Amino acid sequence: MPHEEPIERVVERLLNGDDHSRRVFLRRMGAVGLVAGAGSLLAACGEVGGSSSGTVAATTPAKVSHTKTAIGSITVSNWPLYIDKKTPKEWERKEGAELKYLEDINDNESFYAKVRQDLEAGRSIGRDIVTLTDYMAARWIERGFVEPIDKANVPNAKNLSPSLQSPSWDPERAYTLPWQSGMTGIGYNPKKTGGKLTGMEDLFDPRFKGRVTFLSEWRDSTTLLMLADGINPADATVDDVMAQLDKMEEASASGQIRRFTGNDYAKDLASGNVWACVAWSGDIVQLQADNPDLEFLIPEAGAGIWSDNMMIPAHAEQPYGAETWMNFYYDPAVAAQLAAYVNYVSPVEGAREHMLDIDPGLAENQLVFPDAETQKRLYPVVNLTGADEREVTARMQEIAGA
Amino acid sequence: MSPLERRRRVLAYTLLGPGVAFLLIFFAIPLVNQLWVSLQTGNADDGFTQTWNWSVYPDSISHFSEQLWRSLFYAGTATVLCLIIAFPLAYFMAFKAGRWKNFMLLLVILPFFTSSLVRTVAWQTILTDDGWVVDVMDDLGLVGDSGRILATRTAVIAGITYNFLPFMVLPLYVALEKVDRRLIEAATDLYANRITAFRKVTLPLALPGVFSGTLLVFIPALGDFINAELLGSPQQYMIGNVIQSQYLIVRNYPVAAALSFVLMAAILIGIFLYARALGTKSLRESVT
Repeated sequence: MPHEEPIERVVERLLNGDDHSRRVFLRRMGAVGLVAGAGSLLAACGEVGGSSSGTVAATTPAKVSHTKTAIGSITVSNWPLYIDKKTPKEWERKEGAELKYLEDINDNESFYAKVRQDLEAGRSIGRDIVTLTDYMAARWIERGFVEPIDKANVPNAKNLSPSLQSPSWDPERAYTLPWQSGMTGIGYNPKKTGGKLTGMEDLFDPRFKGRVTFLSEWRDSTTLLMLADGINPADATVDDVMAQLDKMEEASASGQIRRFTGNDYAKDLASGNVWACVAWSGDIVQLQADNPDLEFLIPEAGAGIWSDNMMIPAHAEQPYGAETWMNFYYDPAVAAQLAAYVNYVSPVEGAREHMLDIDPGLAENQLVFPDAETQKRLYPVVNLTGADEREVTARMQEIAGA
Repeated sequence: MSPLERRRRVLAYTLLGPGVAFLLIFFAIPLVNQLWVSLQTGNADDGFTQTWNWSVYPDSISHFSEQLWRSLFYAGTATVLCLIIAFPLAYFMAFKAGRWKNFMLLLVILPFFTSSLVRTVAWQTILTDDGWVVDVMDDLGLVGDSGRILATRTAVIAGITYNFLPFMVLPLYVALEKVDRRLIEAATDLYANRITAFRKVTLPLALPGVFSGTLLVFIPALGDFINAELLGSPQQYMIGNVIQSQYLIVRNYPVAAALSFVLMAAILIGIFLYARALGTKSLRESVT
């Protein structure tokens, strides 16, 4: 379903070279850890994890109240290429404040590694908002690194999509609000595969040997595999996840799986090196602008859904300013402008109606605004915590060759 | 000690100061810190504590021996390839290029104006499975059963060779450029043919360049992870990939620190043996 490109993106492409490939390889560079300089240019939106499977003990926060003050300036950390150009200026105008917007999150774990010591020592990390994927948000809440949100300052939070209102790790959304959500499914090129695919079993089809990639983020890859086996990722145990990793290891050793990737699968998929892969919805929407053949499959058995979440780090200097930022982006009209640029799933109810005016093609796109029928097939991406999480992460890296 | 001598000594230490301070702050302290971290046990969530766990060294070496040996093999092969490619090029530039010399030097350095990441990503495009480069190579029988170049050993070694080639060309060029032409003339006057003159005069005088070139290529190639990451598959990952993954993803800092330490020790011992074999004279000459 090709759609007209927003003019901004066309301009940006002219200025910066090919938009998606830039996003793809820069993002990857970020994950590789070469963040400095090149990272912010190249990277794109987040590496995703999952919402937790209920193993995180949810703590009920004390009610907070952040009094209205003059904001001055706030500092927001987000993933590269995850915001349009216009809306941040609108926020500045509306609040009469200054925004310092950092595109310095290239990878959840690396960002955490960067700020962890300050958080543990109870110091401010110099940011009023950070935007982290579900599993990492869960970790921050559990470790007490997050300031609760004063909902009185965020009246628009009522627009949060019902399906996202109570993740197990923050059941009342007391600490977090999703920035964007996205799906993990199968991206493929029907011209190469010789027809439509139906599910994860197709990725193990010997005809596609060496033409398949999986995400090195185990939370995404195993969620799809478990759904195909009839396991709900919310109930998954460490053994369930490990069993799927065994399957991936076997397929990798036999040459069926070519590589384990971050966002860089998109380049291989567009160039035809890879025919079918575990993929993120927003990437495929962007790729479709240039490669209308590409398709994103949400298997009958189900696909994953995840969010990158805005939250206020403990000891932030401007919690009120941060809340006006959250409130602003939960205005459906603003959310629609944002979604038109980033092409991921908007967590804001009512954004679709506004999108009909901006870009009707996108409003009809199931990958940006999944309907009720599609939503039934979406399951929060698996997560584990503590020793289980570390064990699975280490095992996954071993399978991925490092 | 005469006042003059004292002043000289003070001056010498003053001049050495910045360099020593730099090494101390950016080399010695991190090194000690890394050794300290490598001997800790624990996990990233609950913290690490110092337990003087020396077994981390044999354990991680045996666990990742595959990647260690692979790194040695890839870096060694790439170094030899660089030498084979770079020597004729440097020779031509030094002796035959005439007024094109500076232009050729510029061409050798030019790739540095772009990030090596970007250039490596460009190779992904050039070597794409269905592209003409791979098609032509396939017709020539240069492509294996998998029918591809990307995500194979060939691509990784080629990528390393490509990325580090200038580091071989430049020192070789400098060494060859310095060769006194009169010595070659003298050799031919003494009835040496051109091959003998090259073997007995040019080559020995170029050895310092070979020495520093191989070091400049081999050492960074050994710890490289970009080429394996972008042009390889899990079957090609090198020790650099393991270290970055242990640091940033698995968050097993002791193992990552231990492997970095092992890698560095291996390089130091290697340089030592190499310098002994080629003679410390060439080490001295290569830096002067």
